[in-house]
Amino acid sequence: MQKLLNFIVKLGSVDRRIIFLLVGLSVLIPLIKPLKIPIRPTSQSQAVFDAVSSLPAHSNVLVSFEYGPSTKPEIHPMAIALLRQLFEDGHKVFGMALWPDGVFMSTNALSQVAEKEMHLTYGKDFVNLGYKPGNEAVIKGVASDLRALFTVDTRGNQISDIPMMQGVNNVEDFNLVFSLSAGYPGSKEWVQYATDPHNILMSTGCTSIQVTEILPYVESGQIQGILAGMPGAAEYEKLVGKVGRATGMMAAQSIAHVVIVLFIILGNITYFIQRKQSKKS
Amino acid sequence: MFSAEILGAWFAAFLTLAIFSYLFDDNPFYKAAEHIFVGVSAGYWAAQAFWAQVQPNLFGRLWPKIAEGTDQTILEKIWYGIYDFMGMIAPSGYFPAGGIEGHDQIRLSYLIPFILGIFMILRLVPKVGWLARWALAYIVGMAAGLRFYGYLNSDVIEQAKAAVVDFSGNWVVILNGIIVIIGTITGLLYFFFSREHKGLLGKASKIGIYFLMISFGASFGFAVMGRISLLIGRFNDLIRFKDAEFSHATYWILGAMIVLLAVWAFQKKDETEKLSA
Repeated sequence: MQKLLNFIVKLGSVDRRIIFLLVGLSVLIPLIKPLKIPIRPTSQSQAVFDAVSSLPAHSNVLVSFEYGPSTKPEIHPMAIALLRQLFEDGHKVFGMALWPDGVFMSTNALSQVAEKEMHLTYGKDFVNLGYKPGNEAVIKGVASDLRALFTVDTRGNQISDIPMMQGVNNVEDFNLVFSLSAGYPGSKEWVQYATDPHNILMSTGCTSIQVTEILPYVESGQIQGILAGMPGAAEYEKLVGKVGRATGMMAAQSIAHVVIVLFIILGNITYFIQRKQSKKS
Repeated sequence: MFSAEILGAWFAAFLTLAIFSYLFDDNPFYKAAEHIFVGVSAGYWAAQAFWAQVQPNLFGRLWPKIAEGTDQTILEKIWYGIYDFMGMIAPSGYFPAGGIEGHDQIRLSYLIPFILGIFMILRLVPKVGWLARWALAYIVGMAAGLRFYGYLNSDVIEQAKAAVVDFSGNWVVILNGIIVIIGTITGLLYFFFSREHKGLLGKASKIGIYFLMISFGASFGFAVMGRISLLIGRFNDLIRFKDAEFSHATYWILGAMIVLLAVWAFQKKDETEKLSA
């Protein structure tokens, strides 16, 4: 028994670089040799899907891209899955960005889904309004007078010349605001300055680290559901019915979590054994 | 054929592996990547702030493009004379001839942010540095006023409404509501420092600590999940860059880095031994 305890203590004091290596391998191996793991949508992801599904035909949907390359693995698969659902249901998508690098993300996602996959027409089915600096001030601008804020789109077209912009003047002309958020400014600011004051339906997909901050708004009904990080993206891909990148990455995510949990348990067992031993001595 | 895309892939693979090399030790590759990141970020944000904010939104409103053949008053001619002077001393492209496109009329009210912006820069001049406080006072006051309504409505009133127990629901909803209200009240009591945490207040604040610990645990769990997602993103790119399409960038850089790090580690060891001797 003592030998076993000593072995556990020795295992618990292993060099941190070995832990890094094991966590790294637990992520790398499933990416090289993909595994299939079952994905079950949570009630929060289902709520997002239901909110989008219940929109009236040909709705105007404002999709705000508030993320960049650093959080692309988590948010971009959500953006792709969401755009597929919106375009398949025949809604009009108005893309915009509160982050400067969000424009690259919106351009990439809209080009992939709207142009390459669905062969839709720019200006009639979707538009990319681009980035405006000013954080909350931009959200307030969209809430009060969008046209004063955005005069041209990312392709240099005058907003007044774009067919689908006819009759779109402020946030009240949208049926849904969807925030793809990785931080500030993001979902929280949309709730505070646009969707709550104007009583507009809103939903979100955000990074894992933001989830606990956004959940109170979801529980109170201020936001309709939440896509929580990469698992949220994978669940949404399943709901939309088209497997994407997030589903492929979930095996790596899950195995890494198991390894981390095992190390946490091992660390705690070692701590209690050492404390018991030091009390005895 | 060596294209810009391949060059970008090599650079991305190098920077990713250089950052990962910190797990071995604080080494020159990591330091180089760190310095490049800080420098590029600062440069990118400065350029972004000028070309997306200062130039179109500030100068563009003060000196909008005037249509050719428009009759100008003397005051307007003097005003655009200042603009032309700035265009002469600044590099080409900063102040295009005839004004900046995007707005239709001069808005002199934008002189206020222009002056406040100059005040902020004056912080670098010790004698008049105090003027920066005016600009800061404006920013703080404006931000407080702008955020006050948003927070009061969405975070205080709406959240307080949501904390009310809905007794018309099923037992799960009622139980959930009771747990939320106990957690909210006891959590707030933990931060009530006007009385010593003894007796009923002490017990309530202790329950509050448990709720806070559960909340921190959930936040930590989600933070770990987020970091693993980022790691997956970097590994995905490294796996992509190992292909022949990118001239096997990952393999070459990884190999070279391991060899150079081994040499560096041996040299460092020798130097440490010499110093200790």
